[in-house]
Amino acid sequence: MVLIVSSVVMMSATTPFLWAVRITMTMIPILLLLFEKKYSSAVRFLILYSAALVLTLFFLSEESTGLLKSFLTGYCGIVVQFMPAMITAWYVVRTTKIDEFMSAMQKIRIPDGITISLAVVMRFFPTIKEEYMSIRDAMKMRGIMLGGGNALKMIEYRMIPLLFSCVNIGDELSAAAVTRGLGGKVKRTSTVELRLRAADHILISAFTAVLGIFVFFKYIR
Amino acid sequence: MSIIEIKDVSFRYKGSAEGLLKNISLSFEKGETVLLCGASGCGKTTIIRLINGLIPHYYKGDLEGDVTVAGKKIRETELYELAGTVGTVFQNPRSQFFSVDTDGEIVFGPENIGLPPQEIRKRAEEVIEQMDIRNLLGRSLFDLSGGQKQKIACASVSALLPEIVLLDEPSSNLDRKAMEDLQKAISKWKSQGKTIIISEHRLWYLRDLVDRVLYLEKGSVIHEWTGDGFRNLSEAEINELQLRPVNVEDDTSRRTEASVFFPNDEVLILKDFFFAYDKKPKGILHKRHPSGDRLDLNIPELRLPRDKVIAVVGHNGTGKSTFLRCLCGLERSCTGKVIIDGREYGRRDLLKLCYMVMQDVDHQLFTDSVMSEVMLSMDDPDEAKCREILDHLGILGFADKHPMALSGGQKQRVAIASALAACSKILLFDEPTSGLDYAHMEKVGDLLRDLAGSGSTVLVSTHDPELIERSCDFILEIVDGRVGSLTSNPSFTGRS
Repeated sequence: MVLIVSSVVMMSATTPFLWAVRITMTMIPILLLLFEKKYSSAVRFLILYSAALVLTLFFLSEESTGLLKSFLTGYCGIVVQFMPAMITAWYVVRTTKIDEFMSAMQKIRIPDGITISLAVVMRFFPTIKEEYMSIRDAMKMRGIMLGGGNALKMIEYRMIPLLFSCVNIGDELSAAAVTRGLGGKVKRTSTVELRLRAADHILISAFTAVLGIFVFFKYIR
Repeated sequence: MSIIEIKDVSFRYKGSAEGLLKNISLSFEKGETVLLCGASGCGKTTIIRLINGLIPHYYKGDLEGDVTVAGKKIRETELYELAGTVGTVFQNPRSQFFSVDTDGEIVFGPENIGLPPQEIRKRAEEVIEQMDIRNLLGRSLFDLSGGQKQKIACASVSALLPEIVLLDEPSSNLDRKAMEDLQKAISKWKSQGKTIIISEHRLWYLRDLVDRVLYLEKGSVIHEWTGDGFRNLSEAEINELQLRPVNVEDDTSRRTEASVFFPNDEVLILKDFFFAYDKKPKGILHKRHPSGDRLDLNIPELRLPRDKVIAVVGHNGTGKSTFLRCLCGLERSCTGKVIIDGREYGRRDLLKLCYMVMQDVDHQLFTDSVMSEVMLSMDDPDEAKCREILDHLGILGFADKHPMALSGGQKQRVAIASALAACSKILLFDEPTSGLDYAHMEKVGDLLRDLAGSGSTVLVSTHDPELIERSCDFILEIVDGRVGSLTSNPSFTGRS
């Protein structure tokens, strides 16, 4: 739950223009990466982020024109605004167990239908990755990584086998899940007991405060 | 009163012209262990699905007759009501998990039927104890081997305490050791008095467990044996029925240990195949691995006979697939070279020289017709040559079909055709016979021989002793990423 809240805050907090707070907020995903022992990606992100930041602050302005500059603006925009949110989202997906997620959603009274579909999506990320990897291997062996120079083909070759195998897996997966009683009328129970502790309350209020500051400075003042 | 009663049931899947089950009547007693066998498509899986309610509730079709399980009429019972009574272990370990972690998976079923948390924890504890899986707890299901996944699948079925356990070709992706573990799980259930129904091609590991065996053909039961009757079947009778052997000797014991030597013009020489997953070589210094290092693949030099079928054997996770991947040139950091007739092939050339037919062939079919699939591999498309290759593999009749509309074996052939079209000299197969019945396995075996006969070197990674016996000239054993032994196959009789 805490994680969900924090990710929501991150996404909105990174867009408006309050640099100091914004940079502090960006440090959070880096810390998260470090916690997960993903040192190399943390360092890489840090470098990318500082580069983009320096570029935006010193070299680019509203009036920038020209191809190179517009490219740079686009790139910096993506790195500065979306990357932190994406990393946080990745962290949420990675560290939340599916049953924790399901009982959390149940606690805040989200209907079962929505919870289950979201849970399946979470379950599917690693599967898609696995499938995608082996399709890429197959393409390498056939020497069609670049689709014969045709961008459309390139996407087609990747997507068609991926869709086929995901549909198959999804079908078998749901068959397996219903034989084990998913979708019954009985209320699901959970072995994981989730409760908001002091730390969670502090974090939630801190994030809400940051969000409040942003909204205030951006729209009200 | 029997626990499962199937009465005058006929069934036809939606969209298929022919009925799969024809007026079948079966009953299963409480505590019985029953094996369903027969060729692919004979209706084994359909019977399993009738009992667990997936038919008619999940797979639609025309169903006649009545199925009663533990006093409940399946037709009128919702799937979730059956969850506590019937548990199913499926064939594909990849697609039967709902959770991402092992602990969550075990408690998933009980949570669904709304048991109180204390009770669930108690059950989980018992199951973990029984199945001896404490070492697997708290891990991601995506990091487990096929055998370990199947263990978790058994455990999560157990946690629902079902009276009836169904297994649908559970051993398809397992090696010998994992099959022995599965055997233990089944005998545990048997000792608890559960009713067990298994649909399976590979029979040896069930030999001593079964009380009754049903042999199906084209949707009807045509033979029935008691456990003893089944165990006493002669080899000739088993062959007659196109079943896989009931008795399999431990194949390592009778292997001749003498390594074979081949003259230079008949070999492929593999050189410097070193590879480690966690250590990506950085700069020139790391390229030469000191031999003391822990490597996932460590083959300084290996001479393989040309134009032969070579089985690559070894336990799950011992480096077989790593070996194949490196040989294909898929691993960028592997510096291995292959030398044929004095010519050296580096990683980039290997991508072209070798072709791997993957276990899941769906991944390597990209286009919308068999013909264009094969043409895709050619540098300059040549329709006549393409037809020739298809004809050779016996799939010319499907040239205009969509590859995904074909059966598994036909898809495999399409993949092989595209490899031949690309002039690949070394063909690698990753578990080509997993989940196949005897007749199909035989076909694959013949195909392998055929390919070797027409000038390709074939390497097959497999757990299938029957395939090795039928069609492999040599056996290459991989142990912890090293070459354990390369021996000629004593049991290969030269049938083609």
